Amino acid sequence: MFKKILYDFKNGLWRENPIIVLVIGMCPTLAVTNTVQNGLAMGIATSFVLLSSEIVISLFKKFIPNNVRIPSFILIIATFVTFTDFFLKAFFPDIASSLSLFIPLIVVNCLILGRQEAFASKNPTRRAIADALGMGIGFTWVLVLLSAVRELLGMGSIFGLTILGSWYQPMVIMILPAGAFISLGVLVGFMNVLKRRGN
Amino acid sequence: METKISKLVITLTVIGIISAIALSFVYQWTTPYIEKHQAEAQKKAINAVLPQAEEVKEVEKEGQTFYEGYDSNGNRIGVAMNASGPGYQNVIELMIGVNINADKIYAIKILSHEETPGLGARINGDEFKSNFVDKEFGDYDVVKRQAKTEMEVEAIAGATISSKSVTSIVENAVKQIESAYGGGA
Repeated sequence: MFKKILYDFKNGLWRENPIIVLVIGMCPTLAVTNTVQNGLAMGIATSFVLLSSEIVISLFKKFIPNNVRIPSFILIIATFVTFTDFFLKAFFPDIASSLSLFIPLIVVNCLILGRQEAFASKNPTRRAIADALGMGIGFTWVLVLLSAVRELLGMGSIFGLTILGSWYQPMVIMILPAGAFISLGVLVGFMNVLKRRGN
Repeated sequence: METKISKLVITLTVIGIISAIALSFVYQWTTPYIEKHQAEAQKKAINAVLPQAEEVKEVEKEGQTFYEGYDSNGNRIGVAMNASGPGYQNVIELMIGVNINADKIYAIKILSHEETPGLGARINGDEFKSNFVDKEFGDYDVVKRQAKTEMEVEAIAGATISSKSVTSIVENAVKQIESAYGGGA
């Protein structure tokens, strides 16, 4: 049993990483990874919503008729997203204002709905928790890595701290949408090479 | 295997009701904090554009809210207001403070914008905002070189549209304040 849960947890970290392998949840991945603070906050917010909705849905899966499962999932996800939105606005106003619209947009992040459909609605709660934690951390670490690369090249800083001195001419394109595509493409390619080596 | 339609309706209704109840509690819990942050941000913005004001009063005139700043002797030293207009990508919101006794702008503060990072986003930089410090009222020209006359505003290199947007928001705000407060006086 424990082995199975560990397998579910590790699944999202690497083997079925949502960004690198499944390539889902691209909207926030491309949009908010211009600074590490934004990437990390988005990762944590998404993980929280993923974890809470997977718990609720796997607990109540027997009561949800198949015909209305998608609207039911969306309602449950939207509830947790709205909670996150209020919570961030109340206690982390700076993060809320820099992520602004992208917090409510977690509702339509296909990573979250996808995991409910593929996992939480078919598996017991303890496995759903492991899956949500794995996928959430897997999503977060790639967001942080991606935003660190973009912030470093685009602004010469990480977490708002200047790393590269004044000699560095920031590549503005890296913090623009085009830079997101370029760095994501390079990152996925690099990870594929690593994966092939590992096999 | 067709589930009865009544069961579908009941399921969705129950989920909707539970969500609504839960969220109304969250809303009640967080609203005071959210309002506090908004009020603080507003107050900070007013202080930034009316630096000498000791006391600020909110006044409604011509359907617009103005913030009148008074010094410690109770003299009205200036008026601030929220102004907004289209930017390069989305609406730019700013706070402007003017000295209505001398027909001059005190300062502007950008409250929110979605201009291009590194280019248009520099409207939030001191270098650009200083264009408007102690500027006389009037119709401004945005120029792509150093501003020579009082009526010129130096554009940010590579962000002429953003520079023009801010300038026209400022012009409109000044006009609104002038009409509400009758020019000088």
